Amino acid sequence: MILGLNFSEIIEIIRLTIFVSCLSTLLAFFLAIPAAFFLYFHHFPGRKLLISLINTAMGLPPVVVGLLVALLFWRSGPLGSLRLMYTPAAIITAQIFLAWPIITGLTLASLYQVDPDLLLQARALGASRKQLYLVLWKEARLGEISAIMAAFGAVISEVGAVLMVGGNIKGHTRVLTTAILQETRLGNFSLAIFLALILLAISLTINWFLTSWQQKVIRPWRYQSWK
Amino acid sequence: MAISELEIKNLLHFYNQKKVLDIPHFQINPGECLAILGPNGAGKSTLLRIASLLEKPVQGEIFFRGIKADSGNELSLRRRLVYLLDRPLFFQGKVRDNLLYGLKIRGIKEKEQQKRLEEISELFHLRALLEKSPQELSNGEKQRVNLARALIIFPDLLCLDEPFSSLDQTLKEEIMREFQLIRKKRKQTTIIVTHNRDEAIYLADRLAILISGQIKQIGTTGEVLSTPASLEIATLLGHETLVEGIVDGQEKGLLRIRAERYQIYAFGSAQNGEKVKIIFRPEEVILAPAKPQSSIRNWFHGPIIEIKPLDKVMLTVLDCGFHLKAYLTRSAVEELGVSPGKEFWAGLKATSLSVKTLGAEKEN
Repeated sequence: MILGLNFSEIIEIIRLTIFVSCLSTLLAFFLAIPAAFFLYFHHFPGRKLLISLINTAMGLPPVVVGLLVALLFWRSGPLGSLRLMYTPAAIITAQIFLAWPIITGLTLASLYQVDPDLLLQARALGASRKQLYLVLWKEARLGEISAIMAAFGAVISEVGAVLMVGGNIKGHTRVLTTAILQETRLGNFSLAIFLALILLAISLTINWFLTSWQQKVIRPWRYQSWK
Repeated sequence: MAISELEIKNLLHFYNQKKVLDIPHFQINPGECLAILGPNGAGKSTLLRIASLLEKPVQGEIFFRGIKADSGNELSLRRRLVYLLDRPLFFQGKVRDNLLYGLKIRGIKEKEQQKRLEEISELFHLRALLEKSPQELSNGEKQRVNLARALIIFPDLLCLDEPFSSLDQTLKEEIMREFQLIRKKRKQTTIIVTHNRDEAIYLADRLAILISGQIKQIGTTGEVLSTPASLEIATLLGHETLVEGIVDGQEKGLLRIRAERYQIYAFGSAQNGEKVKIIFRPEEVILAPAKPQSSIRNWFHGPIIEIKPLDKVMLTVLDCGFHLKAYLTRSAVEELGVSPGKEFWAGLKATSLSVKTLGAEKEN
């Protein structure tokens, strides 16, 4: 027992938190990258509007996402027959909706930072279409990793949508954020603080790895100024 | 006859309905270096991008050794050539990675890659730079790496867009000389786009003059330089002196032209009374402190107003009623005591002058 909570219960909350946040970020990433590349290479009517919508969706209120997913998964909703309401799958779905625009929008911005002439040079050296995508991907890596970090930070700290579609069911859909919310309501401040510290520690660890990866790419500022 | 490395037929290209290229026929032979010389905005880079299959022309056919390019063989044909942009652009990673890029994407075996890397690093003095990041290199080193990553591929055709324009004069000469040696040794077929006539003269076997999207003249470098097809081209080719005059009469196959205070004799065909421009190149001018007895028909007289050092010679400008430009070697400048304000005689053989009628010029 730690501060009135079962040890195995805490482990389960941590496990689920890491599982849903990582999986949703990963799935959002695989859906976002093709979208960003498509928007980079193709020009079509309504493209600008679409990009504006994606950029707006980066700041989508989580409760709106929660409502949307709830409507989808509600028994009478279009996906009601899947019986996913109040399951980890519902949480992951909501988190994908939150993470996708962040990764798409930030990745697209990072692709635009790559000099288009460098891509022309790659083609001029003999790059095929796939090899060209790979060059673009590698050159924009700095921004792409930032996009993943931003999305992961958003989903792991999210509470509104997770509560709405997950339901904070003990041992089933309870994650760190919803647990902290619950314990604070009950006045168990020391347990809430303990869980909050765990949440921060997880977030820090994962960002540490991503940052180390990112730092491999950059050339640090080396110039000593007078002041 | 040997089959041409690259041949372009009936090329038409537009940007926003504006015609930017109109080239009925254009070809480059194996082993030669062709320079496309033209002013800014003439369409030089566009032509080079189209020739490199990087841009699809609105209309026209492109052949590589007789094989017509289409969407099916575009990649395999494009991989026979390399095009270098007008500034060296590198990928993240080391110089080594950048040099090997073209080989890697072509699926060349690791062992062969290393062999060629060795060879090219030796050729371009890049050994010490291989592990550096390209951003750490000086301009000259960057351009060397740039040329090396193209030549490591052994392309059938090398397309260079203003390859030396970002370098200062000394460095430009050094790298151009290196490049020219390697190009000749390898018999590397090359197209160079430039607006710098000295680069073109130094590097090219043939010269194509591109103005407003059209090839106005093409021929061996010597041909084009000595007989520019129009005034426009003569001006583009640089330091020529231009004098306007009126045809006064014909004498034993020569035109007698009145210009400023001179009677000028030159070959050409023009009617009496017709307005003409006389063009001559600065290397054809002979300078003398006093008018000597000689076979030279045309003598002009005036004070020196400017002396400017160029890469190998001194450009000297005389005010003879018009600005007359002459090249002198440095030693000649010293021996003759050429200095501003001093008066000299400038002599030109009738054969050194080319005459363009102004009426004809307007038609172009």
